[in-house]
Amino acid sequence: MTNLFINDQEVEVAPGTSILEACRQNGVDVPYFCYHPELSVAANCRMCLVEVEGWPKPAASCCTPASEGMKIKTQTETLKTDRKMIMEYLLIHHPLDCPVCDQGGDCKLQDYAMEHGASKGRYVEHKRAVVNYELGPFVNTCMTRCIHCTRCVRFADEVAGTGDIGVLNRSDHMSIAGIVEEALESELSGNLPDICPVGALLDKPSLDVSRPWEMSNHKSTCTQCPNGCDISIESRGDEVMRIRPITGSPEPWICDRGRYVYDAFRSDARILEPALRRGGVLETVGWDEAFEEVVLALKDKRVGILCSPDWSVEGHTAIRLMRDSLFPDAKVSYDLHRRDMRAFAFEEGLAMTTTQIESAEQVVVLGSDLRQRLPLLMQRLRKRAYAGKPVSRIGAMNYRTNMDLSSDVIIRPRDWSSVIARAMDQVRDLGKDAAGFDAWLAAVPERHEAGKVLADALISKSCALLVGEEIRSHHDAAALIAGLDLLMRACGHAEVGNDGRNLIPEGMNTQLLSATFGDVRVSAGELFALASAGELDALIVVGSDPLGDGLFPSAAMAALTRVKMVQIGAIAGKIGRHVDVQLPAAAYSEIEGTFVNMEGRIRVASNPLRSLGQERPLWKVMMRLVQVMGADVPVVSLDELRSEVVKRVPEMAGAWDAVEQDKLLLKPARNRNVKFTPSKNKPAFELDVVSRYSMYREGMWARGSELLSKAAELHRLDDLLVHPDTLQAAGLSAGPMVVRSFLGETKCSVGVREDVSPGVLFVAKRGIAGDLSDLDSATLGGES
Amino acid sequence: MIPSDPQQVKQICFDRINIPHVNQLAIAQKNGAYAFLPTVLQEFESAKIIDEMKISGLRGRGGAGFPTGLKWSFVPRNTGKPTYLLCNADEGEPGTFKDRDIMRFDPHLLIEGMVMAGFALNVRDAYIYVRGEFLHEANVMNEAIREAYAANLLGENILGSGYSMHLTVHRGAGAYICGEETALIESLEGKPGRPRFKPPFPAVEGFYRSPTVVNNVETLASVPAILKHGGAWHAAIGVPNNTGCKIFSVSGHVNNPGNYEVPMGTSLKTLIEEYCGGLQHGTVPKVIIPGGSSTPWLMAEHYDVPLTYDAMAKAGSMLGSGAIIIMDETADVVAFSRRLAHFYAHESCGQCTPCREGTGWIERMMGRIEDGQGSEKDLPVLEQAAKHMAGRTICALADGATAPILSLLQHFPEEVRSRITENRL
Amino acid sequence: MSAVNHQFSEARLAEIAALTKRYPGNRSAVIPVLHMAQEDFGYLSMELQQHVADTLGLRLMQVREVVTFYTMFREQPSGEYRLEVCTNAGCMLNGANELVAHMCETLGIKVGETTPDGLFTLTEVECAGACAGAPVVQVNNVYHEKVTPESMDALITKMRVKE
Ligand SMILES: Cc1cc2nc3c(=O)[nH]c(=O)nc-3n(C[C@H](O)[C@H](O)[C@H](O)COP(=O)(O)O)c2cc1C
Ligand code: SF4
Ligand code: FES
Repeated sequence: MTNLFINDQEVEVAPGTSILEACRQNGVDVPYFCYHPELSVAANCRMCLVEVEGWPKPAASCCTPASEGMKIKTQTETLKTDRKMIMEYLLIHHPLDCPVCDQGGDCKLQDYAMEHGASKGRYVEHKRAVVNYELGPFVNTCMTRCIHCTRCVRFADEVAGTGDIGVLNRSDHMSIAGIVEEALESELSGNLPDICPVGALLDKPSLDVSRPWEMSNHKSTCTQCPNGCDISIESRGDEVMRIRPITGSPEPWICDRGRYVYDAFRSDARILEPALRRGGVLETVGWDEAFEEVVLALKDKRVGILCSPDWSVEGHTAIRLMRDSLFPDAKVSYDLHRRDMRAFAFEEGLAMTTTQIESAEQVVVLGSDLRQRLPLLMQRLRKRAYAGKPVSRIGAMNYRTNMDLSSDVIIRPRDWSSVIARAMDQVRDLGKDAAGFDAWLAAVPERHEAGKVLADALISKSCALLVGEEIRSHHDAAALIAGLDLLMRACGHAEVGNDGRNLIPEGMNTQLLSATFGDVRVSAGELFALASAGELDALIVVGSDPLGDGLFPSAAMAALTRVKMVQIGAIAGKIGRHVDVQLPAAAYSEIEGTFVNMEGRIRVASNPLRSLGQERPLWKVMMRLVQVMGADVPVVSLDELRSEVVKRVPEMAGAWDAVEQDKLLLKPARNRNVKFTPSKNKPAFELDVVSRYSMYREGMWARGSELLSKAAELHRLDDLLVHPDTLQAAGLSAGPMVVRSFLGETKCSVGVREDVSPGVLFVAKRGIAGDLSDLDSATLGGES
Repeated sequence: MIPSDPQQVKQICFDRINIPHVNQLAIAQKNGAYAFLPTVLQEFESAKIIDEMKISGLRGRGGAGFPTGLKWSFVPRNTGKPTYLLCNADEGEPGTFKDRDIMRFDPHLLIEGMVMAGFALNVRDAYIYVRGEFLHEANVMNEAIREAYAANLLGENILGSGYSMHLTVHRGAGAYICGEETALIESLEGKPGRPRFKPPFPAVEGFYRSPTVVNNVETLASVPAILKHGGAWHAAIGVPNNTGCKIFSVSGHVNNPGNYEVPMGTSLKTLIEEYCGGLQHGTVPKVIIPGGSSTPWLMAEHYDVPLTYDAMAKAGSMLGSGAIIIMDETADVVAFSRRLAHFYAHESCGQCTPCREGTGWIERMMGRIEDGQGSEKDLPVLEQAAKHMAGRTICALADGATAPILSLLQHFPEEVRSRITENRL
Repeated sequence: MSAVNHQFSEARLAEIAALTKRYPGNRSAVIPVLHMAQEDFGYLSMELQQHVADTLGLRLMQVREVVTFYTMFREQPSGEYRLEVCTNAGCMLNGANELVAHMCETLGIKVGETTPDGLFTLTEVECAGACAGAPVVQVNNVYHEKVTPESMDALITKMRVKE
């Protein structure tokens, strides 16, 4: 530890801490512009000057390390004049347009001008005007206001990894500019206005809409991906104006999906009133009338339940209570992305925290488009790579990462078992073995070289294995995960305290979902098959859109026609066009509820935003349903409901106690006795199909958001993608062709890209391709 | 040949400068180039070389005057990273033009100095960063390097010694700031030349974050003589703490402008009157700028000042790179300062607020004053804008930029005032 | 002057490949390669900057930053002969401003302009590092020292005749 004196006060900081950080940590105010705790130090604004005893000149505190015995003064006459002069230099070209600037009221320049500036500038020369540049749909630029702190440039380099913002020219012609095509490639672009200390970069969607002082903030949890970021929902009245990250939370940033999804909250897609389908159209009705219809549809019927993982913990428990009271035989599906429902050796969720992943010796990503799936975990990996630590990857595509990977291999999903087998051989040669290896290896005739990448990473003290959607949605997922589990055990990465087995989940709350529904769950595909086979009479769809998302759109479509559909949710989605009854439930911006993220971190959100229509918290809708169906209502208050949660998951006991909550981390389930080995069945067709995920398009909220749809347009890729060799092997050239699969023949046109693995067909969930998400194999052929 | 008696030494870097075609290896070798190199590579140890350099008292000739031996001793060993040697041949300081002559007339001297320095520092890759405008000089250097490679004076296993060093000439592209050592490093990494803050110092974390030594051309060109004759020999030349010879680039209102290498401690007046043929007009200079445009001005009372780092500091200025600009009574000091204000505004890398905005502000104010649009009220503003730039920035460009302004205001307030009133009428 | 072909020749590419080996990282070669590009194609159009970026495996922005920072890089075509007069300290004290005024008259253009025939571009530059030869004029990077209005006129005439 280093001891130093700040304004005669002795303080202690970690060695290597800058003077500025030492001041910040000890509550001493030093003004600064260019410094940002999450970015590298630039030391260019020179606002953070302090005096150090014995030094001839003031020092920039942000880039000067504190050293033992140093005596620092932050308030002296000299510093006062220095700061005043820096303010004067900064303001000579700054426009005096604070009254019309969105940053007004939340602007460092304005604040410091009041605090440190002179009352009147003495600059009478020509003022500079700077050209603006395009930074995509989310960021507005007004570069004349720029103070050249270069935070945005460092953000683009170090955080977004796109490096698309730069410093052009020099002297006072120096300007910040972006290259637009690339700027759009960042999934984190919405953070730029937040880090700009002045009004040069402003949030475009909320531009001119309101001023900081008119807004109130509510702390909440984003449910747009399993990372479950802490967010601050900023609203004016009951209208959400902005979503921003919360300082001091585990992630300093949030992604564009979580930030801009809010315009779906008040979109036409919302379910705000109960409604019934009459003569083909949905008509708004009262709650009572709607429930009468629900009773008709469900009473004494064979029912299946499909729900989204993104409801609060209370919501899920309420669904379970409703099921137990009314339909004790009903199967529940909460996952549209899993084909294999056998027990996984390690269930969905992360064994490690993202911080642990960032600092692990090795990280291997298996089959995941992490940048789209989990932009903030991706950011952690980027930070790692920036610090020179390895990240390797195996998958069906060289998905764009905006960072340098230490190795990056493409394979076909059908090769996963030979990849794992190859890794088993290698680690066994090094004396690392597991009891199940023999049986597993015996089931796999071939070896794939990509396994070396995996094995190389496993031979390390700590290894974070990140298993992604390509494996999770594999038809043989349980066997593959069992194999990976054996590997991790053999290499010592499966112990308490050093467990690197992370299975990236599809949505929030997965640690609890398996506890809540583990005994009654089925895959969504099975549920639809049951419906199509006439074994169900009705489906209750609670906030899930199987037509728009997931791997079963065709199966869902087929099922639709056979059963009654009762939809309960906040947003209608594509399925909304087909349901018979609709009941409104409150959105995550409107409820008090508990969420568990993929690391097992617990967050209790309380959102006093009033409902826009008739919607009620999901648990109340569920209890009302129980009541109208004539059963005993199991819980009547949130507290009672929470005790039900604890009954199923005892670890949750401290969840609602602010102090205990921080200590809780719910770890994903482990199934020790699974012994699945890879199936010998070959896929029916020669190409493996991988369904491509887009953060701007996946999920009913995202599709309900115009802002995200706009971004989706910009990020558009072809619906179907293959490697050029794949076409060549089929004797085809780009253009119209057909996909043959168990669904029959579908006309399509195919895009060609080098970064896709040969032998793989990527399908986007959109338009025609949406219907192809059900496939796990197919062939391409010429139009007949 | 440089005499081994220090009392007789007049020149160190310019010893061979007047020999025709000494840029060619054969001729250079005939005149002593590389003669001592095998001894250094075979018999000297790194520590001994650094010791000799320390004893020699050689101070960096690039401007800051930092002791070279000491700088070399800061380089950490066994870091697992390579050490780089960068020769600073950016020579951008207005008034400086000495390194150019070393490179275009005696390139082998620099190469020999770099191999010796590289050997002392265990360098495998060395670079000469030449300002972009010096195309001819870069070509001459490259040709000399080609010859040196062919003669195994560079490259793998130099002269069978087991030591290998590669040398590359890297041309800049027009930016004064790239003479600042950390900006030079950034530029050599392929980025805009924006100085880095220190610590970390380049000796520890420089080129590609590895230990790096940056030395001026003249500094490195002094190494062969020092190692051949010994540090003590060099220390005996000049005056204590200001040892050896120094090249002075004299320009402005003198009859024979040019480069003159003289023992340190020679008086300025002697240099001007005996070597440079005196002033163009009159007998005493109006302004003496002793170390390049970034150093404060001296007045006629200091005409006799000895040319040493210490004496210049005592007189209130700096020896800098040894670029002496003399102005006689005909000089328009206001126009001159304005021109330099333009220079610094043009050359500021733009990153530090005071320098970026201050240099531009000063340029505009000076422009107005020179054009007769100034007012009395401008003077304190000008002074403050300049004063608060110096010492508050990442590099010393901002300090340099204030020198001509503060000197003008200090020594010639009446000329500034008369400019204001004169043109008002 | 529209940029039709912006591809380095095979020989250039080989030269660049050899050059990059000289540095710990490719990015270091960007200034030398931009010099080459400018020599080969006259000026650095956006397409050419992209080509340089692609050749070295850099991002366009990394190249843009360098091109705009250094004064010797041109993003616009210039005259056949670039007359660059140093007007800094030493040259100013030895008649550089008068020389510039004279050249403006001879060429019929202002500083920063190109003659209508596209032959000459006149600019003022910072200290050329040759103050003993003040005033200094660089003509396409070749130094001319102790230039007088007369010697400059003679040089201009010679260049005109050569065309
Ligand atoms: C703005 C600025 C410009 C500089 N220009 C040069 C230069 O052109 N040549 C040079 O050798 N040193 C220059 N320096 C000094 C270098 O930073 C550095 O001190 C020097 O190269 C060290 O070499 P030396 O120890 O051999 O003198 C400059 C410094 C500053 C602040
Ligand atoms: S002082 Fe000026 S030149 Fe030096 S780093 Fe700062 S802005 Fe750049
Ligand atoms: S915060 Fe230290 S210089 Fe900007």
